[in-house]
Amino acid sequence: MIFRVIHKTSYKYDSYVGYCHNLATLRPRDLPGQKLLDFKLNIGPVASELNERVDFFGNYITRFAIQEPHQELIVTSESLIERDYQPITSQYKSGACKGPTMADTLTSLQRLGEGSLDANQYILESPLIRKIAPEIRAYSAESFQLNRSVFDAAKELMNRIYADFQFVPGFSDVATPLHTVFNERKGVCQDFAQIAIACLRAVGLPAKYMSGYIETLPPEGQEKLVGADASHAWFATFIPGFGWVDFDPTNNLIPENQHLVVAWGRDYYDVPPLKGVIYSNGNNVMTVSVDIREAELDTLVNA
Amino acid sequence: MPLNDYLIQCDNDEAKAINQSGSPVWDRLFQNVDNIGFNELSSRQADLNWYLTENGVTYNVYNDPQGLNRPWNLNAIPTLMDEKEWVTVEKGIQQRAELFNLVLKDLYGKRELITKGIIPQEVIYSHRGFIRACDQIEYPTEKQLLVYAADIARGPDGQMWIYSDRTQAPSGMGYALENRLTIGRVLPELSKGLNVRKLTNFFNHFDNLLLASSPRQTDAPNIVVLTPGPLNETYFEHSYISSFMGYPLVQGNDLVARNGYLWMKSLKGLKQVDVVLRRVDDLYTDPLELREDSQLGVPGLLEVVRQQNVAIINPIGSRVLENPGLIPFIPGIAKYLLNEDLILPQVASWWCGQERERQYVFDHLSELVVRRIDRPHADSVFIGYQMTSGDLRELREQIKDRPYRFVAQERIGFSTTPTFIGRTMEPRNMSIRTFGVASEDGYQIMPGGLVRVAPMVGNSTVTNQTGGLSKDFWVISNKEEQTPPKFSISQPLKNMDTGLDNLPSLTAENLFWAGRYVGRALATARFLRMVLKQINFTSFNERKPNHESLEALFKAATNLTCTFPGFFSEEEIEDPVAEIYSIILDGSRTGSLGHTMSMFFNSYYSIRNLWSSDMWRVFGRINAIWDDIQQEKKITNRRIIQTLDQLITRLIAFMGLVEDCILIEQGLLLYFIGLQIELSMLNISKCRSLLSVKFEDHIEYEVLEALLNSHESLNIYRNSYRSYIKIENVIDLIILDKKYPRSLAFRFNRLNKDLAELPKAHSSHELADFEKFIFEGFAKLRLANARELSEIEEENYVRAKLDDLLSNLSDLLFQASLAITTTYFSHSYQQNQLINQNFSV
Repeated sequence: MIFRVIHKTSYKYDSYVGYCHNLATLRPRDLPGQKLLDFKLNIGPVASELNERVDFFGNYITRFAIQEPHQELIVTSESLIERDYQPITSQYKSGACKGPTMADTLTSLQRLGEGSLDANQYILESPLIRKIAPEIRAYSAESFQLNRSVFDAAKELMNRIYADFQFVPGFSDVATPLHTVFNERKGVCQDFAQIAIACLRAVGLPAKYMSGYIETLPPEGQEKLVGADASHAWFATFIPGFGWVDFDPTNNLIPENQHLVVAWGRDYYDVPPLKGVIYSNGNNVMTVSVDIREAELDTLVNA
Repeated sequence: MPLNDYLIQCDNDEAKAINQSGSPVWDRLFQNVDNIGFNELSSRQADLNWYLTENGVTYNVYNDPQGLNRPWNLNAIPTLMDEKEWVTVEKGIQQRAELFNLVLKDLYGKRELITKGIIPQEVIYSHRGFIRACDQIEYPTEKQLLVYAADIARGPDGQMWIYSDRTQAPSGMGYALENRLTIGRVLPELSKGLNVRKLTNFFNHFDNLLLASSPRQTDAPNIVVLTPGPLNETYFEHSYISSFMGYPLVQGNDLVARNGYLWMKSLKGLKQVDVVLRRVDDLYTDPLELREDSQLGVPGLLEVVRQQNVAIINPIGSRVLENPGLIPFIPGIAKYLLNEDLILPQVASWWCGQERERQYVFDHLSELVVRRIDRPHADSVFIGYQMTSGDLRELREQIKDRPYRFVAQERIGFSTTPTFIGRTMEPRNMSIRTFGVASEDGYQIMPGGLVRVAPMVGNSTVTNQTGGLSKDFWVISNKEEQTPPKFSISQPLKNMDTGLDNLPSLTAENLFWAGRYVGRALATARFLRMVLKQINFTSFNERKPNHESLEALFKAATNLTCTFPGFFSEEEIEDPVAEIYSIILDGSRTGSLGHTMSMFFNSYYSIRNLWSSDMWRVFGRINAIWDDIQQEKKITNRRIIQTLDQLITRLIAFMGLVEDCILIEQGLLLYFIGLQIELSMLNISKCRSLLSVKFEDHIEYEVLEALLNSHESLNIYRNSYRSYIKIENVIDLIILDKKYPRSLAFRFNRLNKDLAELPKAHSSHELADFEKFIFEGFAKLRLANARELSEIEEENYVRAKLDDLLSNLSDLLFQASLAITTTYFSHSYQQNQLINQNFSV
């Protein structure tokens, strides 16, 4: 399937901003099952400097600066993504994926090799997931046992987070500590992803923070609203000999074609869609809208 | 004391170690000490302390009850090393610098050391100094690591060991140099018969390194020293290096990243910067990509580095090498990268991320020293043999939780060195910080260094944070070194264009405020002294001044200091004297003299790199005078007046020195502008309080006399007018007289001239905004006449014309000050982080 994603972020400032530096992690990655066909980034006012690089984790980072005084910044990314993840999810039933127990996994991660070397960095503490509280460890231990399949355990963890945690927008922000989210059992997608990551790392398993989009489906018989989709986050874990497997605890489902990957890192800190430093006095207010549509190939040609 | 007598009390001592190798250097030093004699030596030690204090050599200790700027302690007796031994030490440090250079290059490049399993990745990836944003950054310089410092100490086997590496922004070079210069001045005869290796060449190499690092092909690269600011523990050194090397001292706010280049904000505008010698920690250098809460760095700096348009010394990201977790793997790294064995041994270390090593650590925990791999501070060092069994259990749990964060090290008894304490020689534990800089052919090592000794006998902690002593370190050669040309601080600022145009705007702003605060301190002190004298007069003299005139002075004091409500309070003030004391002494009241004094102290600390030693001496006296009165339990009028007398004299001396020592192109112009604006404002405030309303004649006389008195103008008045004090003449003298330096007209005229000297963005005949305000004020003063100004409105006894003029002038000054700020001190815009995105799903 081919999707057109329009991701618009706008900042309104109390007073004029004379200069700003920004970093955007908005260009989606290519990966097996996902291909970026086209990408445009529109910035208003026009950026005086703009360049792109690949970061430590292989994500695309766009850096730009605006020199013209402005009171509003609008960043719109438009991505055309081909996603066919079904061939990948279909292998999840295989023994290679479901087979390895936690004990197998821990042992093979200790062996030095290309795959484990990359995976091992996602076991370590990261900027937003440092000390893992005993409660989180206990919560994790209910699903993860040495003789149990890592895939099954991770899937169960996803189910449990979905069941135990309440989705409450506005309860948390990026600065909310993990244990607060855990103790209150409330939060949004990035909190649930990070709770799951903490649970996996607590038992010594690698876990990645996945940043991207999810297409929301309108209630049956209704037209989909523009901007009703959203930025989204979930987690992935590594099964030696098989690879990374994604889980979405917010929706209790294994990502297939409704999910689109933009970037990944150790936690949210590595992949914020947009951040920046402005030279001004006063506050700023942000609004975001995301719109995902299935694109017809002919519109692609016309575009 | 003969050397042998000293050695009886020692086990592993520097003097013994070298003595056994047959080198007579310590014998010679002890002979020199004997010739000086312990009595004389102890008075020289006092001279040393005095000299360092006078020169303002300080070390700031965070959270220290003594506050900022603790004096630097230098012990009279240096530590010696024979050149025969030094040659090996030097090679060992060179080897390690080169090794770390290659490691740094690899970690931010190919990472073969990790993929080949030579360094476990956790040692790097869990270290907060490994900055992923620096991945694949390479500097165009031949070496990546440009400055390296190693802490070395003598182990029980008699060899020098490396026990700690400093790679991001090593401190101590400036202190080492200052120690050397100070010992040379105070104790020249100590080195008699000893060929002490000189430091000159090393600093020349250092300067060459800075020049050669510039990515821009130019003969005159712009080099700056980046400091976190006056609160940093080694701020003294930052300003010392800055003035010694002749490169401007800047803070993050002085710099801006634009169009792929780094720029310094100067009075003239932006000026490209090629090389940054940084003393700001890695993570604080760029709030865009690194720590977002940092106000010490430059947003966008890393991108300029990526584009290879600026050199940072040392590179951002080099803190990952300050990592005791690396130590166990260094021999393997040396084999892999250099195919060499280590020349200098290191402390035996076990990284807890490995199972066998961890087990060893658990089995011997109570004998070891455990460290976090990325926390150099003392509170992350666990000394096993000093811990209770409960603490050890807790430590064990911490290690089990995330073992890769810990490394355990063997406990070692390092050597002692002869240290002059009281009137005798004591053996104290010591370590030496040595320095290397990259040059065309490898690393140049300073033939000397900074020795730090433990504060007590038997104590082996030698950091400055806990308050130790320092020493000079002498490498003794068997032949005399040719004396290279003396380096001098006053060498022309070689590669920076000098002049006001290039003055960093933060320095300019600090000078502007320094002028304003010194002016405010002086004028406030004078006025309040006069008020106290009038109070005294009231209590001791038959011919009492009228109560009403005192009241007018009280109100003027509130006005002048803006300590409202004060004497304008609706309720009557029961104890006016107490209120005056409070306006003088209570530093917590904004506007009080106490508050002004602390602002004065702060503004001067932040420009200390411009100071001369005379300025330090006077500044120190002012500080002491103010401290004394603050500590005083029983305050009397007499005591405060005496203090104010001293303060005023010292402030005037200080101002004289400022004018004498700082050059106009170093920013003195900004100081003058600040000073004149402040004195004009206070002058206006006094005149509005005391002249705008007509008092009864006999009161008015007293008020006018008091005003002239506080304005130091009474004699001049009598001399010029030879008459009874009349309002018209007073207005004429202190407001309108263009020739009298204390009058408003004179000050506005002076401001006119000074403002014209400021660098202008566009050359044009039009006046700048701030010039217009002052010009308008001057014109108003010239058009006024004293007779009209002293006219009284019958119905309310107000001198409306005078008051209008003064209030007008006050507004103009305020606007001029604001316009100067926005034109020249543009960094006063805050940097803010955009709020981060929150997901809605």
